[in-house]
Amino acid sequence: MNSVNDRTRDIGPFVPGPDDDMLICRCEEITKGEIRQAVHDGMWTLTEIRRYLRTGMGLCQGQTCSKLVKGIVARELGVSPAELEPATSRVPMRPIEMRVFANEADSNKEGE
Amino acid sequence: MKTSAEVVIVGGGIIGCATAYYLAKRGVDVIVLEGSDHIGNGGSSRNGGGVRQSGRDVRELPLVMYGIKNLWPTLSEELEVDCEYHQDGNLRLGKNDKHKAILTKLANNAKGVGLDVRMIDGDEVRQINPYLSREVTCASWCPTDGHANPLTTTLGFYKMARRLGVTFISGEPVKELRVIRGKIRKVITPNNVYEGENVLVAAGLDSREILTTVGIDIPMTNSLLECLVTEAQPHMFDQMLGTAEADFYGHQTKHGSFVFGGSSGLERYNKDNGMVSNSAMTAPCICRGIMKYFPDLADAKIVRTWAGWMDASQDGVPALGTVDEIPGLFVACAFNGHGFGIAPAVGDQLAELIVTGKTKVDLGDLHYDRYKAKI
Amino acid sequence: MKRYDLIVVGAGPSGLSAAIEAAKKGLKVVVFDENEKPGGQLFKQIHKFFGSKEHRAKVRGFVIGQQLLDEADEAGVKVVLNATVIGLYQDKEVVVKLGGEVVHYKGDAVIIATGAAENMVTFPGWTLPGVIGAGAAQTMMNLHGVLPGKRVLMLGSGNVGLVVSFQLEQCGCEVVALVDAAPRVGGYGVHAAKVARTGVPFYLSHTIVEAEGDECVTGVTIAEVDSSFKFIPGTEKHFDVDTICLAVGLSPMSQLLKMAGCKMEDNPKRGGQVPISDSYGQTSVPGIFVAGDVSGIEEASSAMIEGRMAGNVAAEYLGYIEKDALKEELDTLDKALDGLRQGMFAPSNRGKLIEKTDEGIEVSQSLLKNGYIADEEIERFPGVVRKVGVHPVIECTQNIPCNPCQDACKKGCISIGKNITSLPIVVDGSECINCGMCVANCSGQAIFLVDEDKGDGSAEITLPYEFLPLPEEGTKGFGLGRDGKVVCEAVVTKCRSSKAFDKTHLLTIKVPKEYAMKARFFKVS
Repeated sequence: MNSVNDRTRDIGPFVPGPDDDMLICRCEEITKGEIRQAVHDGMWTLTEIRRYLRTGMGLCQGQTCSKLVKGIVARELGVSPAELEPATSRVPMRPIEMRVFANEADSNKEGE
Repeated sequence: MKTSAEVVIVGGGIIGCATAYYLAKRGVDVIVLEGSDHIGNGGSSRNGGGVRQSGRDVRELPLVMYGIKNLWPTLSEELEVDCEYHQDGNLRLGKNDKHKAILTKLANNAKGVGLDVRMIDGDEVRQINPYLSREVTCASWCPTDGHANPLTTTLGFYKMARRLGVTFISGEPVKELRVIRGKIRKVITPNNVYEGENVLVAAGLDSREILTTVGIDIPMTNSLLECLVTEAQPHMFDQMLGTAEADFYGHQTKHGSFVFGGSSGLERYNKDNGMVSNSAMTAPCICRGIMKYFPDLADAKIVRTWAGWMDASQDGVPALGTVDEIPGLFVACAFNGHGFGIAPAVGDQLAELIVTGKTKVDLGDLHYDRYKAKI
Repeated sequence: MKRYDLIVVGAGPSGLSAAIEAAKKGLKVVVFDENEKPGGQLFKQIHKFFGSKEHRAKVRGFVIGQQLLDEADEAGVKVVLNATVIGLYQDKEVVVKLGGEVVHYKGDAVIIATGAAENMVTFPGWTLPGVIGAGAAQTMMNLHGVLPGKRVLMLGSGNVGLVVSFQLEQCGCEVVALVDAAPRVGGYGVHAAKVARTGVPFYLSHTIVEAEGDECVTGVTIAEVDSSFKFIPGTEKHFDVDTICLAVGLSPMSQLLKMAGCKMEDNPKRGGQVPISDSYGQTSVPGIFVAGDVSGIEEASSAMIEGRMAGNVAAEYLGYIEKDALKEELDTLDKALDGLRQGMFAPSNRGKLIEKTDEGIEVSQSLLKNGYIADEEIERFPGVVRKVGVHPVIECTQNIPCNPCQDACKKGCISIGKNITSLPIVVDGSECINCGMCVANCSGQAIFLVDEDKGDGSAEITLPYEFLPLPEEGTKGFGLGRDGKVVCEAVVTKCRSSKAFDKTHLLTIKVPKEYAMKARFFKVS
């Protein structure tokens, strides 16, 4: 989408909230306060948030929290959640043991 | 929106962010233009996190040694972020005589410029890292090497530079540079024209196309490298690992997950679909490589794989420093897949170069104009 | 590499429908699904579906699932289960985890039909064990035979929240409250009414303040919210519960498409991130198609039609049918889909406040606020008439695309007419024979047979009943009003079960005649 995003835009100060210690990303145990603070540290895209805090990088790969994180970041930035592009999707769709991933079936063999 | 500054940096990766930070620390006014939507979106957040000296070309060794001695130890405190820097050594593993020869040559070269690196046998390797299989018969061992978290380090530089007043603008892909009255001046994107007294091009592979607009060519090509990460595992070891065969490299992170990179041999020919996507062949190949060295990791689950474009130069070392022909223009590109560990030193020394015209570490061997025909 | 004409990812309603259509046109088709059972969400849908005959209305979801499986089998579709697609790589390469190995496949066409995942909302305590998705609760109950909890609070009044609340009650759980931050019930009124009449209180404009408990959920506090969704102090209500079910919407599971390089958009109307596709599922990557919830959240009936569309488009893409034949198929399917996307709940009406029915009748405000139609409102609807002798009373008050009732009555007592969303009416001069087919066939459980005056001061009401154990003749209890509150004493005079009723039992109760138009449920005393 590549739209010009000037990171000096004033989004106001970080104001602590009563529910800042609420867990948002359960896999990586990231709180709402940490996410909000990261926005004020300059992490303005969901990809940056994810790389900075590890939200959505755990076992569920963001299946549970990505919409929640998006809402929090959007509110902090004062934009609509739809304006924030979700983080990239990565292989594998489900966690897979190294021994299984390594074990590629013979592609010339008939069967399945 | 601010469109002119003392220094305009093209590229918001770790090189651009670190240079911006060290410039801002020296009181310089800086704009950083990032072409993609995200800061640190290229190799900076796609590499395997190595902070190592061993295995490098001697031309870039002094610079990385400078960084490991002077910058890395205090970087987390300085950037107010956990860079997860570990200085617990690097094992470069070998399994046969051919590997031993490769490793010995690299070690001897490094020793020549004062690096503490030595060859050890398989038993000593397993004393350092008991999880390694019996297949490993030798290694080079550099105790001052280590690893760190590329994501938090890159974004940490960004955060602090931004805090010191650097203007970062993402979504601004630079298409053209312009020389005005014999000096570099204009930096042009599809949306805006920026002006700087000095311009640093640190845009990875894209640097080539950008520099071409002022008649400078750095012979680079691309190569698609891939990494994978496991779910968190109990703590096993802290060293950085590589192999003589370069079939995999990696480490266990503070979080417990293992980050491994590797290759299938098809890197130079891989393509992407606009998403910098993986080849279906590579991750299985990396897994097979890892399991030969670490049979215990066979049951670890992989949660994510990713790919990144590497800027590979003709001779495998970066192009770094002043562009003499064009006053005010500086380059920092062609890091050949190992730009992360060296980045703080690059940023610090480039800032010094831009401000004072001099550097503590001699960058002469990395000059942009060094490429010559073979006969 | 192993190659198929068509690889379908997801063996739910849309994926199976796509595979069936494509296989019928001659394509070599494989369907991969990560679950051990096929059918997607259909196998936990134990309620009867809405729609018309062509949408398989009045058939229970899991039966539709079985029908699709049989059709797939007949058409020669290969359905591979426990097959996790871990990646959709470049060049339409599908990598599948099968047992202890990964297998690479190429598809000349790929249809992604991976469905959706449940949304979560946060409140203090939301990570406590005992806070679960409503869909998860449904899976536990209906697929695995596990009771999710004993006392449950449901958050969300959309169809999922309503349907699952009813099913929780059927399983013997007590649903202590159905809560929604919105000021009006989101799902079908008939679903709400059947939950409300069992005694579940509705709290609209309320949401969860906090889930309580140290190790697991032991209670929950809700409070009223104002129009900007801020809590109104002093309106807190506490419930002892062991389970909180969240039915707060679904998000498309579109990751494979993003990975494959399909152009994506964030579309709140479709439930989140979806591939940009034309109305028949073609994405920006030639040969990659989508169908069902992954391309926008709707429901199973439309997912099946979308699947059939994508299957046909894939068949034409690969040259198995001609453009003309495709057009013919799509015209028919367009009509079927239009049929479902009509009425008050049509996608085009999402978010709109509808005050009157197509017939110009004021919508029941009590239904939207409390989940039931107030006694004084009910008689303004055309299905509710007073007559001598047994006659149907049809408490269907919203324009929804559904018409099994008019076919159910062989005597022609009920008519919906040409427009499938019209409110059903009781035909003048028709004669009810008390067969009960309309009661059993109404997917919304909104039809009752009432004999208002038996001549002895009593009335008889026949109501749909899907709870076990079935009360025997002579069982004494209470008649509950539409609001679930006891209105009178009642005694069971008959309990009819029949294959034709498809597991909806017909309970006839005798009540004092002044309650003929008030009592709508029975509770054993």
